[in-house]
Amino acid sequence: MNHSPSAVQSGTGTVLRRIGLGGITGSPVAFAIALGIMALLLAVPATHNDYFQIVFRNILMYAAMAYGWNVIGGYTGYVSFGQVAFFGLGGYCSAVLSANGVDNLFADVALACVVNMAFAIVIGIPVLRLKGHYFAIATLGIALAITDIVANLDALGGSSGLAVHHVDEAHFYIYYYAMWLVALGSMLGTYAIARSKLGYAFVAIRENEDAAAVLGIGQTRYKVTAWAISGMMAGAAGAVFAPANGFLDPSIAFSVDSNVFPIVMAILGGVGSVAGPFIGSLILTGTNELLQRYFISIHTLFFGAMIVLVVLLLPRGLVWLFGLKGGARAWLKALTAYKA
Amino acid sequence: MQLLAQDLVNGILAGGILAVVALGFSLVWGIMNIINLAHGAFIMLGAYLTYQLFQSFHVDPFLSLPLSFVALFVLGYLIQRFLINWVARAPILTTFLLTFGLSLLLVNIAEIVWTGDRRGITTVYTGVSFTALGVTVPWVKLWTLLVALAITAAMQIWLTRTKTGRAIRATSMDIGAAQLSGVRTPQIYAIVYGLSAGLAGVAGTLIALSYALTPTMGDPFLIKAFVVCVLGGLGSVEGALIGGLVYGIVEAFATQIDFTIGTQHISGSGLQDAIALIVLLIVLIVRPTGIVGKATA
Repeated sequence: MNHSPSAVQSGTGTVLRRIGLGGITGSPVAFAIALGIMALLLAVPATHNDYFQIVFRNILMYAAMAYGWNVIGGYTGYVSFGQVAFFGLGGYCSAVLSANGVDNLFADVALACVVNMAFAIVIGIPVLRLKGHYFAIATLGIALAITDIVANLDALGGSSGLAVHHVDEAHFYIYYYAMWLVALGSMLGTYAIARSKLGYAFVAIRENEDAAAVLGIGQTRYKVTAWAISGMMAGAAGAVFAPANGFLDPSIAFSVDSNVFPIVMAILGGVGSVAGPFIGSLILTGTNELLQRYFISIHTLFFGAMIVLVVLLLPRGLVWLFGLKGGARAWLKALTAYKA
Repeated sequence: MQLLAQDLVNGILAGGILAVVALGFSLVWGIMNIINLAHGAFIMLGAYLTYQLFQSFHVDPFLSLPLSFVALFVLGYLIQRFLINWVARAPILTTFLLTFGLSLLLVNIAEIVWTGDRRGITTVYTGVSFTALGVTVPWVKLWTLLVALAITAAMQIWLTRTKTGRAIRATSMDIGAAQLSGVRTPQIYAIVYGLSAGLAGVAGTLIALSYALTPTMGDPFLIKAFVVCVLGGLGSVEGALIGGLVYGIVEAFATQIDFTIGTQHISGSGLQDAIALIVLLIVLIVRPTGIVGKATA
């Protein structure tokens, strides 16, 4: 995808739309649908069904994490396999605050954002110099290493974990609304970033890093910014999840599921779009929940098969289908584009 | 001193297996530019195949080495031909995720077939060791190392002396020029992927001799394979061997770290993944081409 000269003349958004990617924010129809569903989800606590609340809270949680991944992996093109590190750190911020007698979701989220921003800057400056496979595996290494380190820190409860104070069952909906706000914030934040100069800088780095540098887009600064933003989204989700769950240990905070689900969701929905991560989370978390309820032993099998099918059949995601010109033939042609 | 010598020997013995693990991983990465996240699952399948042959037919694990190789070669060949080939030249995210999905599938199938219980292979020679100069060496691990060295040497000869081997190296150097010279690249890709899976199967057999078997047993080896490839330099047989041995030694010493700061006790044995990451980052910053690697574009 080397469209840099025309990108300079007519704007990246226009070019992306012309080549069928639906502009810098993705299809506006898909975005409107996503916003509509988001509004409907406000009504879930009114059902007074705890199970529904947990399922939909998980959908919102994974959506926020998928938005976080989308900023660095989708818009900036740096495929991170370590976003769970941010989620876990956010969770541990709440756990530590709770252990020190602070029981306030706003404080939790604020601390998680600050800690994750600092972590993203410190880790990001050396790691974001790596590209492609090296960056991907280094971030995977970060996720594994931080799990090891937390499991060995007595102050964080080691491998046996920490209890996190949470409210009584009657007020459980507080966590639901908090998670809803985090997801909505991530979605609108992504929209605002994508439409701003920052978003165009991210896409410029994704499409051609050298050309971006020539245009004066200082790479390190923008890449670290993208990573910090993505870390704050995942961290905020973690900060709400920990008190809602009431308990946190390294295997919950840094689980493989939380690491990979958001990536698959962003891809299923549409990488580098504003509606994609939420739609992806809605579909995948929903199906996964149903399978876990009725066919517990094969739900990982299903998930593996799902990944294989999504990668082979929907490489650019569902949102991309909204902007696809040429129908089934164009779709089939796109599938063989990378055949050896 | 005695302890240092023992750690050194342990490191070298562990490094032999890592070299075979990394060899297959390095082939796919270097030639196809794919990070194969299913490599750990292939190792696991090789190990369970060995276990099953030993349990059902009392086949000695060393004798099942060729069987593991052939079975996993066929599986790898088919997976490449019918799945990965569709996205072989796609951006890294695609192949990364596809192989991750495959890994999930294979691990879950193993969980259904063999359950999640820890299993092990106990032969007559398990646990038998000899002591030389005060250093204890288990026979199994010594034989494992020798087999690993033999396989590495065989791979090197095969890649440099045979027609297919040369076609593989040509594809990794310049795919366009190789195609112009009549190399059928999809065929070569399938052979390379099959070979890589076969080597993973062999590694699995060797690992089954000294480690416990679980469906997720391959995961720790995956990240180590990556570090070994980076350490030794990508796409060369001797790189995988040297990287494997060096990493084995580093890990053997690092897991001996044991000290206490205040009330916080720090022990290296719980920090294996952190050690791997630290080694990886140091190598990437100090010598990105690896120990024997050449500069690449």
